[in-house]
Amino acid sequence: MVLESCKKSSSDDGTSSSLKASGSTSSVAGEAPTEEEGPFPYPGGEATNPLQRIDVTDGQTGVPLALTLTIINVNNNKAVVPNVRVDMWQCNKDGYYSGYANQPGALGTQSYVGKTWLRGYQVSDASGLIKFNTIYPGWYSGRATHIHLELFINGVLKKTTQMAFTESISDVVHVSTLYSAHGINTTRNANDSVFGNSAVDLSIETLNLAGSVSAGYTGTLNIGLAL
Amino acid sequence: MAKALIKLAYRQVIDALSTSDFEKKIFHTSYEEFLLKSQAYNMEGKFKTFDQIKANDGRANSLHYKLAIAVTHFIDALGNQIPELEDQLGNPVKFEVPEFKLLASDLTNKMAHEIAITYVTGELTLVTIINNYLVLACGDQRENSGPANTFTIKIQPNLAIVQFEEAQIIV
Repeated sequence: MVLESCKKSSSDDGTSSSLKASGSTSSVAGEAPTEEEGPFPYPGGEATNPLQRIDVTDGQTGVPLALTLTIINVNNNKAVVPNVRVDMWQCNKDGYYSGYANQPGALGTQSYVGKTWLRGYQVSDASGLIKFNTIYPGWYSGRATHIHLELFINGVLKKTTQMAFTESISDVVHVSTLYSAHGINTTRNANDSVFGNSAVDLSIETLNLAGSVSAGYTGTLNIGLAL
Repeated sequence: MAKALIKLAYRQVIDALSTSDFEKKIFHTSYEEFLLKSQAYNMEGKFKTFDQIKANDGRANSLHYKLAIAVTHFIDALGNQIPELEDQLGNPVKFEVPEFKLLASDLTNKMAHEIAITYVTGELTLVTIINNYLVLACGDQRENSGPANTFTIKIQPNLAIVQFEEAQIIV
């Protein structure tokens, strides 16, 4: 079952006004494609919010994934952009999200109300950098492996997007010990309802991964904003 | 009456007039989160209220969950004790699940922001009801024929039995 909010809207023809805050997908070269924000995003606000954090694992087990994202302005020679708030959220190794009730999935229907694991936000530094220490995501029926992002500047939503994963690496992770009960994701990137509509977009939003199951992975990506 | 296995729920409504420190934190943080996260469902800024945003895009119902996530750390600080609710001896009543709901909000009027947290207990045994008082025991004591430790809660506004299972009567 595809979680309703992770699907593209039925009316989405690539110009859905509810999603295309910064123009249609790939309207500017290098701009991060605008993707479904999905059902399970994240909060924030006050200066002491514990969810402003680099380490979002919060007790969840999985293959470590250290993300380094660089926010760039595709309208200004890819200049780095500081002070961008980036919210991330993802499912755990079993394909469930924190904070939500009654989620169908590999372990049956699960509720994680009151939990906030695998969610967090950071503000880009002077070099436009954002770091998150997380785990390699699991997956749930109907979606390719992904991590959600929302980007805000001065409280204004500039981009909703998702990061994709190279399947040859995901397939290795998803048969490793912690993930093997669920196995390889049956939804491939090319067939995904969000990633599958544009090979160009998919290439822009696919993380550059390095590492191994035993050592963990690093993931880097430039996130382009058209400012 | 036969004993019954129940769950209680206590609803706390928080708005601009709420006075406790906890309520103020919930109010302000959830409103800031509403301003931030409602944009995903209102990209052109055409709508001002939560009802309007939901009517335009049903996915905006996710805001109940999103705002809940934003205030989880405040709710965690309660230590699973329901605010404003005590038994007749002044002891706190524990909850297991906090259910958060955005009742109303307005991008242009913070005074219109209103949320509710419904605190749901774990399983309790309803031993008996005496006038307006529930006599309760923790856990499932339906088959316990011996003495049980009980506590008493007055039936009051915002308090409800939300799950009920009577003991099996064996003939």
